[in-house]
Amino acid sequence: MSSRSSLLTHSQQTASMPADVISVRKVQEGFQFVNSLASEGESDVEMSDDEKVEKSAEANDGAIVTPGELVTDDPIWMRGHGTYFLENKTYASVAGTVSRVNRLLSVVPLRGRYAPETGDHIIGRIAEVGNRRWKVDIGAKQHAVLMLGSVNLPGGVLRRKSESDELQMRNFLKEGDLLNAEVQSLFQDGSASLHTRSLKYGKLRNGVFLQVPSPLIVRSKNHTHNLPGNVTVILGVNGFIWLRKTSELDTANNSSAVVGKNAATLSGASGEFKPGNNSVSITRLEEESSWEIYSDKNDHISDVMRKTITRYSNVIKALAHCEIGITEARVVAAYEASMAYSQIGSLIDKENMEAIGQDVINAERMRGNA
Amino acid sequence: MSRLEIYSPEGLRVDGRRWNELRRLECSINTHANASDGSSYLEQGNNKVITLVTGPQEPKLRSQMNVTKATISVALNITRFSKIERSKSSHKNERRVLEMQTALVRTFEKNVMLHLYPRTQIEIQIHVLQQDGGLMSSLINGITLALIDAGIAMYDYISGVSIGLYDTTPLLDLNSVEENAMSSVTLGVVGKSEKLSLLLVEDKIPLDRMESVLAIGIAGSHRIRELMDKELRKHGERRLANMST
Amino acid sequence: MVLSVTEKSYLHESLASVPPARPDGRKADQFRPIEVFTDFLPASNGSSKVVASDGTECLVSVKCKVVDHAVEEDLVVVDVDIAGHRDDSGFVQGIASTLSKVLSTQLDRSCLRLTKKYSFKLYIDVLVLSSFSHPLTLISFAVYSALNSTQLPKLISSDDDLDVAELPTFHDYDFVKLNVSVPLLFTLAICGKNVLVDPASNESDVANNGILVTWNNGKATAPIRTLGLNEDYVSGVSPQSLQDSIKMIEQVAPEVLQALGGI
Repeated sequence: MSSRSSLLTHSQQTASMPADVISVRKVQEGFQFVNSLASEGESDVEMSDDEKVEKSAEANDGAIVTPGELVTDDPIWMRGHGTYFLENKTYASVAGTVSRVNRLLSVVPLRGRYAPETGDHIIGRIAEVGNRRWKVDIGAKQHAVLMLGSVNLPGGVLRRKSESDELQMRNFLKEGDLLNAEVQSLFQDGSASLHTRSLKYGKLRNGVFLQVPSPLIVRSKNHTHNLPGNVTVILGVNGFIWLRKTSELDTANNSSAVVGKNAATLSGASGEFKPGNNSVSITRLEEESSWEIYSDKNDHISDVMRKTITRYSNVIKALAHCEIGITEARVVAAYEASMAYSQIGSLIDKENMEAIGQDVINAERMRGNA
Repeated sequence: MSRLEIYSPEGLRVDGRRWNELRRLECSINTHANASDGSSYLEQGNNKVITLVTGPQEPKLRSQMNVTKATISVALNITRFSKIERSKSSHKNERRVLEMQTALVRTFEKNVMLHLYPRTQIEIQIHVLQQDGGLMSSLINGITLALIDAGIAMYDYISGVSIGLYDTTPLLDLNSVEENAMSSVTLGVVGKSEKLSLLLVEDKIPLDRMESVLAIGIAGSHRIRELMDKELRKHGERRLANMST
Repeated sequence: MVLSVTEKSYLHESLASVPPARPDGRKADQFRPIEVFTDFLPASNGSSKVVASDGTECLVSVKCKVVDHAVEEDLVVVDVDIAGHRDDSGFVQGIASTLSKVLSTQLDRSCLRLTKKYSFKLYIDVLVLSSFSHPLTLISFAVYSALNSTQLPKLISSDDDLDVAELPTFHDYDFVKLNVSVPLLFTLAICGKNVLVDPASNESDVANNGILVTWNNGKATAPIRTLGLNEDYVSGVSPQSLQDSIKMIEQVAPEVLQALGGI
């Protein structure tokens, strides 16, 4: 048996068959390296005799560096993530871009798992129920910890946690359950401790889950957004996203200022509690922290609503496919752009996803804020 | 059948290379974004290798947890169809494969900054689709690329190459015909330095020739590092350009 | 991945409603987009790689060997390797046995015949690199593409060699394309009264049952059987669902074949 197709040729014949039932993209006599067609790398590698002149110059801000590369030999910089220090010189330990903030020098990796920071609004999935704590998968290097003492339990916010609570932890949250939470603190080893001690956090229901690469979600003040069509999206900083039917609480909380007020009433620190139009009263609070917040039952969700949720889910995937940062404005813009496609199912095709991404970018350019 | 001439008096090898020439090397990273944290596809001559890295992540078993650093595991899958003749065994749990896995773990354990990721596990999965000599060196290069793609901190690149000794001439980057005809050495070189993180000598090599073998091997590894670095930067620039739009 | 109770009930209600609302908006008879790569392993007679949009990826190599067909009964050998699953697990063995049964009984042996004494024996090696949903449909697409891009050595000696004790000889570099009708295997999920093709992993998690339908030579053929897709929602299959499944495959299979074959 002899080798039939020459390895050195990378002739690509791409044929795309648009079809209703299945879309198939075909590539013959090739595997990858679509981009290397024009490059010179088609023959055996010559040993180059001319050694490249070693750059002693520093890598600039935003420049790409790769592991082992000298970033600076100036010892005044503090060394942050993605760097290491050897004989008074700072080297990169990951492939990424150089970032200099004040005195801190770090390399931001191009890819990598979510690294939690205190205050992050995240979504997680219960991985394990343990002794007085839950282990939560948040897409980070390690599972986060949610202590029994860090959640609101039925029967009043301020009550003490008892032994019976410990025994029925699975009745509150069990393996597979999704919740949104805030990163309360970080442990020495970088893993996160979570809390859900606010009405905007807790078990998630009435919707669907999807996941995008975490760098696409930009940290901001507010991660819960009410979208047109009575749908609420929670853009977890860790790249986990929840789309659900807008609840009463969502409408009440539609500005972060109100959330802040609620938090204040919750902790009881502020004496200036005023039963305003937008805030939730103490009695409501007590009602909300009844068993209902751990309910496993969905409300009634109409078919139209389900369709809207599906459409939002597909356009968010389209944005992620195009590696466009995901914000409320862009989700809405992409949703509007997607209206050109009456079939929601056609949004999973690559070309359509790219067209939507392009639409969103173009619209931003037109408005001049790109 | 006439005996193949491994190294002609004119200085040409079976595939037309000179003694100090590498085989064609092409690589790409982030090839399996949905299935792993980091991935690479590497062609070194006729070797074709897919490498997937998952982690650092919560260990599947408590026993695999180390409170001070991450643990690395390598699973090497040499497919039945990887050689011209289909092999009868699946190569799993073969002693040679187990040894290669251990050697690879050792090679990377010192280079990856494992202390940054305590209580986690880094799983490396390698699928060899086709092999044609110098397999170990291709595995090293594939793992280096996939680890970097996963954003896992390491001190430097490790680039691998094999060198054979034909009579008194060292030959760089052996294919399988050459590998079967002479004794060979596999190197894993750290970055641009002359430090070795792996030295594999499986046959007899005259000690007085070792120096010339190592010299050409290190030079070849540096060239491979450059090629991998070029691909990585190209990939990085593409991503950055994409994000800024 | 374990789904939460509310996710499952949301999904199940959506899929069981009429018409079904699939989580990615697909129609009941719509497949996920796939990418097919062929002819990338020069050391094999045929090769293919199929990637689904969720990252499920399957690689197939076809190699051939000349055998005396009087001595060797099986002319088709199938080996399945699924990354992350042990070779002796029920999941892998189930898929392997289904595949090898379908391929060895339904591939036309006369296509492999060389001379009166000798035939080609095909080794079909399947490697699933990552699987999120049940991989059988994807594997079958990959096997189909690999076999349809398989090139076999061209015979130059006489095809009547009953009296000669010689092995067949082949042309040095000319090849003949293997021309054989390859069966396709389709997995379907049943949710309530609905039948869905190519279920994604979250759909499989809430399906009441799975059905495997084989398609060959323009019609649905054996084996047609149920597949367990999950443990929570399993219920019996009504004859109506079975008929619906076959009807649906009869509708979509020609289009799938056209999309896969029209290079």
